[in-house]
Amino acid sequence: MDDSKGTNEAIVQGQQANNEKVARNQKPVWETPKLEDVSEQVMAQPYIRFT
Amino acid sequence: MTKIDQLRAPLLVTWQLTRNCDLACVHCCTDSAPGKRLPGELDAGEAMQLAHEIIANQVPYVMLCGGEPLVVPHFLDVAEALGAAGVQLKIETNGQQFDARIAERLSRLPVRSVQISLDADSDDVYRRQRPGGSLAKAHAACEAVRAVNLPLEITFAPTRLNIDEIEAVIDRARTFGAFRFNTGKLMRIGTAARLWNKLEPSDEQYRHMLDVLRRQATAIEHSMELCYLPFSIEDGLQRSFQEPPATMLVLPDGRVKVTAALPYVCADLRRQTLAQAWEAYRGAWRDSEVLADVHHAIADASLHSRANNWKVLALANV
Repeated sequence: MDDSKGTNEAIVQGQQANNEKVARNQKPVWETPKLEDVSEQVMAQPYIRFT
Repeated sequence: MTKIDQLRAPLLVTWQLTRNCDLACVHCCTDSAPGKRLPGELDAGEAMQLAHEIIANQVPYVMLCGGEPLVVPHFLDVAEALGAAGVQLKIETNGQQFDARIAERLSRLPVRSVQISLDADSDDVYRRQRPGGSLAKAHAACEAVRAVNLPLEITFAPTRLNIDEIEAVIDRARTFGAFRFNTGKLMRIGTAARLWNKLEPSDEQYRHMLDVLRRQATAIEHSMELCYLPFSIEDGLQRSFQEPPATMLVLPDGRVKVTAALPYVCADLRRQTLAQAWEAYRGAWRDSEVLADVHHAIADASLHSRANNWKVLALANV
């Protein structure tokens, strides 16, 4: 049994709700990407780590 | 709100400069091999234009990969344009053509990593996994990187052929002065997917590999980082599902993939600006078809084998 199923479905619903919210609301304030935000987690994606 | 909805541009662009390669590795996730340049790859002028757009959008970090990036005639021009503008670089190479001249050129740039694939420690195993390759050349490339004090990163893709040599390669990487050793579960994408029944390590082999990694992680501590988590691409997708990565994967023809393990293409940098492509990428991670397929790919790794059969996504909400 996939334990993550309920969590993932909740995330899908949350992301879709967020999508509608973003569409309804005003323009977001954009951040400029910074090198310090390139976390170990970003670089540890399997595809990036060992292609 | 997720990080990608806050950023005006990606933190990292992973740019496959070509699908062409000088080796025909059995585990390749991009279907690369000699002569397998993708039809319609960006030419030198288009690649330089994209480099300037990356700079203009203030993307802080770019990974140049392939295929083999060093077979691309404009590789150094792209790297130098990005580096001169302060964009940090990671270069992924098999090391077959990486020599002192290239090392010296790259040493003038803000290079955070030169990642070299060392998938074996004996020549016969290396040649079985990387037909056409020379382990001696890969070792020479590691030495060339360190000779000019560039940071060296080693990657090891485990298969049934080479997995028993992982400990020897970890030792070799330390000898070369690598700051990081990367590995994880073999990805079922590209050539590896086609040869899966011949390549997939057994559960017992993976257990032994993890034992080695845990033991070595304790033994070597601060001398070299061992990076192997998330171990599988499914685990990586689960993370992405919860927090989509602020990274953009650019194919050799300028199209943009949503994520490596799925076939979806969400933008085309030949026809769209990088800002438009980034907007499309953010939209893709809100798209119900993509989210459902990510969910399926987390549960079933065999679905990753479709990843290189690219499918253009019709984004209703972009």
